[in-house]
Amino acid sequence: MKTLLSILLLLPLVGLAQSSAKLNKVISKLNTVKDYSVDVEVKADIPMIKILPSKAKVYFKQKDKFKVVSKGIVILPKQGFSEINTFLSDKSKYMAIEGDTSKIAGVVVQLITVIPSGEDNEIILAKLWVDDSRSLIIKTQITTKSNGTVTTNYTYGDMAKFALPSKMVFEIDVKKFKLPKSVAADINQRSTEKKDDKRTKGNITVNLSNYKVNTGLSDELFKKKS
Amino acid sequence: MLRKNTYNEFVKILSKPRSFLGIGALTLLILLIIFAMKADGKSIISFVTASFEQTLSFNGHILNGYLIAFIILQMLIVHVPLLVALVTGDLISGEAAMGTIRMLATKPISRTKIVLSKFIAGAIYTLILILWMGFLAVIVSQWIFGTGDLIVLNSDGLTILQEQDILWRFGAGFMVAYLALLTVSSLSICLSAFAENSIGPIVATMAIIILFTIIGTLDVSIFDTIKPYLFTTHMASWRSFFENPVDMGTIMESVLILVVHNILLVALAIWKFNRKDITS
Repeated sequence: MKTLLSILLLLPLVGLAQSSAKLNKVISKLNTVKDYSVDVEVKADIPMIKILPSKAKVYFKQKDKFKVVSKGIVILPKQGFSEINTFLSDKSKYMAIEGDTSKIAGVVVQLITVIPSGEDNEIILAKLWVDDSRSLIIKTQITTKSNGTVTTNYTYGDMAKFALPSKMVFEIDVKKFKLPKSVAADINQRSTEKKDDKRTKGNITVNLSNYKVNTGLSDELFKKKS
Repeated sequence: MLRKNTYNEFVKILSKPRSFLGIGALTLLILLIIFAMKADGKSIISFVTASFEQTLSFNGHILNGYLIAFIILQMLIVHVPLLVALVTGDLISGEAAMGTIRMLATKPISRTKIVLSKFIAGAIYTLILILWMGFLAVIVSQWIFGTGDLIVLNSDGLTILQEQDILWRFGAGFMVAYLALLTVSSLSICLSAFAENSIGPIVATMAIIILFTIIGTLDVSIFDTIKPYLFTTHMASWRSFFENPVDMGTIMESVLILVVHNILLVALAIWKFNRKDITS
């Protein structure tokens, strides 16, 4: 009876250990990238924002240095680019629980739910769908204290060996935007003619190309004003 | 004769200190805005993007000369009519007040041409005012802040325009803004034809603009039927050039309404001046 009880009590921990092992493989792969630069093309389809596709250069350096350089205006999600990598890199700050397996675009993925152990963490909950065979994150759903929930789908190309995606599609929640006409000086618009965008979700598609990995980016680069 | 009289009218405008007061005030206002933007422009941008900043980050050179020019145009288009009316509002009534109108009417030129020459002189002054405003807003701002994409704030969202697609919009926008100011000029000259003192038409012009603007700003459906016919509704139609895609139908409708206003106001002024019993 004691043996059975011990097995039952230890069972969840076995699952935890397995999922951590899978996640560890992903983290190990992510950690091979010390820094990178990449050209990005951003297509934003966000309610109440009209913007044409724009280009920028993104720089990243471990552990949490991130910079976007662009001549024009580029809209990116507040979180989702590098935060999850930074968060996952400190294993003492969360616990991971293995969930169901499913298929995303024909790929078998394992759901791993990551819960922060501390109170002060910005991330409340992170769900990762991991392709265990290639140790790649295929999809994430991250809920934070201040930014709501952002779902991201990843597509990989020739930089899959570094776990760096060639395409990221962010699905974000957008709150209703309303500014008084007097503030916007938009008195020309008549109230009956308004074409309100009722959508509350937007998509940002980021195509990434021309990766330069582990070139030894200097810290100064991240201090300079873009 | 119309050309010579227009020249005389323009010289009269230039001889009034208030004509330069308007240009001086405009210069001071624009330089103040540029200074404020240089000192604390980031917080203004933050105000514009605040609604989205919880989930989105805006990267790039946002605080640039085009944005400053747009803000200047947006802020001052409400106040420039006062500067226009200040000069054009007494073009006819000022003569009546000073007692020179009788002498003017004795010149070998029809009363219609007298009124027309005053309208043309007023239009030239308004053109100078808007060109100066355009120079300070677009050229000086670009020189100080550089160029970049433009974020346009509307009551229902943001439009972001690419740098290479902006200058022509300013050109077209200033043309429509000029037409709107020309309507103010025509209104004040028209009111001037009805008055015998200088200050009345200026105050009346501003009162009409304020009243119509408040009606246009109020989101009350009962006013929706009259809003399209108020010239103040179309004074802000220069903003339509900063939408993507540009709604040319709406702009042409505004241009048409402003042109009709101008024609009617000029016609009304001519009609009144031709029947005016000049006793002063």
